[in-house]
Amino acid sequence: MTMRSWISLYALLIRTSIRSRMQYKFNFLLGTLLAALIQISEFLMVAIVLYKFGAIQGWSMHEIGYLFAVMTLSKTIYRMFADEVHHLEKYLVNGELDQLLTRPMPVLLALLPQKFRLMPGEILQGGFLLWWSLDGMMADGQISWVAVPYTLLIIGTGAVILFSIGLATATCGFWMTRITVLQNLTEDAARSAAQYPLTLYPKWMISLLLFAIPVGLVNYVPALYILRGELGGWILPLLAVAALFCLLLSVRFWQYGITKYQSTGS
Amino acid sequence: MLYFTLASKAYARNLQYRGAHMVHNIASAMFGFMYACIWIGLGADHALGEYGTQGMVAYIAFTQSALWVTSFITNGLGIPQTVRTGHISLDLMRPVHLFPHLMAREWGQIAYQFIYKSIPIYLVYYFVFSIQLPGTLTSYLYVAIALIGAAYLSICMNYLIGASALWTTESSWLYWGNHAMINLLAGFFIPIEWLPSWLQTIAWLSPYPYLLYVPTRLYLGFGDASYLWGTLFWCVLLTLICLTATLLLRRKVEVQGG
Repeated sequence: MTMRSWISLYALLIRTSIRSRMQYKFNFLLGTLLAALIQISEFLMVAIVLYKFGAIQGWSMHEIGYLFAVMTLSKTIYRMFADEVHHLEKYLVNGELDQLLTRPMPVLLALLPQKFRLMPGEILQGGFLLWWSLDGMMADGQISWVAVPYTLLIIGTGAVILFSIGLATATCGFWMTRITVLQNLTEDAARSAAQYPLTLYPKWMISLLLFAIPVGLVNYVPALYILRGELGGWILPLLAVAALFCLLLSVRFWQYGITKYQSTGS
Repeated sequence: MLYFTLASKAYARNLQYRGAHMVHNIASAMFGFMYACIWIGLGADHALGEYGTQGMVAYIAFTQSALWVTSFITNGLGIPQTVRTGHISLDLMRPVHLFPHLMAREWGQIAYQFIYKSIPIYLVYYFVFSIQLPGTLTSYLYVAIALIGAAYLSICMNYLIGASALWTTESSWLYWGNHAMINLLAGFFIPIEWLPSWLQTIAWLSPYPYLLYVPTRLYLGFGDASYLWGTLFWCVLLTLICLTATLLLRRKVEVQGG
């Protein structure tokens, strides 16, 4: 099959997934509303700290809002396209992965469109927060419009990095079967940590969040350059290379892991 | 006796997985460690009110440990699953009321989580952050009452979330929505008095502060026992709501397929 036919097949599977979800409109609306509520309350936790203390380690309210928004949007892109990677445990425990293995396509390509998740709540909340932070910093003269395309770029590279972390974690499921706890550490805890400037944490934890579970590369490191002019312009292409490297590494790990899959059967 | 057996069986079932749960404790402890680091970082530049940096670290240590008693309990008390499988009809046919039946099972779960999750997690923080323990026996007594009340409130809330599964397939969102409210309004990460005044008003009009904030204040020696009247009020009110919800769900139950 050519690349084009893979893409059209993928788009068809996504459309099917959306159509099946739209059969239950009330459920979709309720889910969307509650997701937005969860997002807002998550940000309020950070916002209240800022409201109370003004700045965190020299990072202003707009800057922290930016860190939070970039992380939210990158995560949203990752989870829209690859939510089932995050929910691989279900396939492993119930033996549902067997069905996907019989399909005449790579397992990952069959898995991703199983459920295309529409996340309007997260996009609206993240988008609004990003607009608010960028607008505030532009009004102060801290950044110029160039920050906008840079930000779009890093949201993309961030999504790739988060997907890679998610895929590598899910791959561990081929040995461990149950991966929720591991996901708690590598996805939830790490992502929550990176919503604040990394300088808050002890050195070993900063290294962990930059090199082992590189969530710091999603928002903190690019923000140092885009918002504060630190590091240098070379950091953006380097981040793109790092994201591709993470992706390559995690896909290779997945390809190796899947050879170790043992069906649970029933 | 029946209820005690249900509770002890739930406890015994969990006991089988205590190895896996200990790994889970590491993840939970890491979360708390991260929150404590944030307060330590903030404490370097700002005075942290009546708590001080060490007090806020003790605050986070307690709320993170208490989560396993007052927050992380079975999603909807397992009702959403029984609705999906149709098992709910059998549960409703039993000669015991659904609410105390599920509640008894959950008490076993909570007792297990207190011993195998809350205490180990708190011990880690106790040694890592050199936390001070309360000095008087009465403090422990008040904290115990507040925690039992909070666990009961959490059971009621999850019963209502579970009951909603008869109307929608998205009740898991309510579970997570409830968590988000706990994070924000129960004083999980930020003490309630630091919230903006409008949010404080909303918080105190809800049962959330009684889940974490009240037990934590009592534990740290900042609160007085009159808080417990609030806990009692919400326990009574939510019990009545749960009983009414049971009446409604009995009329709503549908058996799907076979």
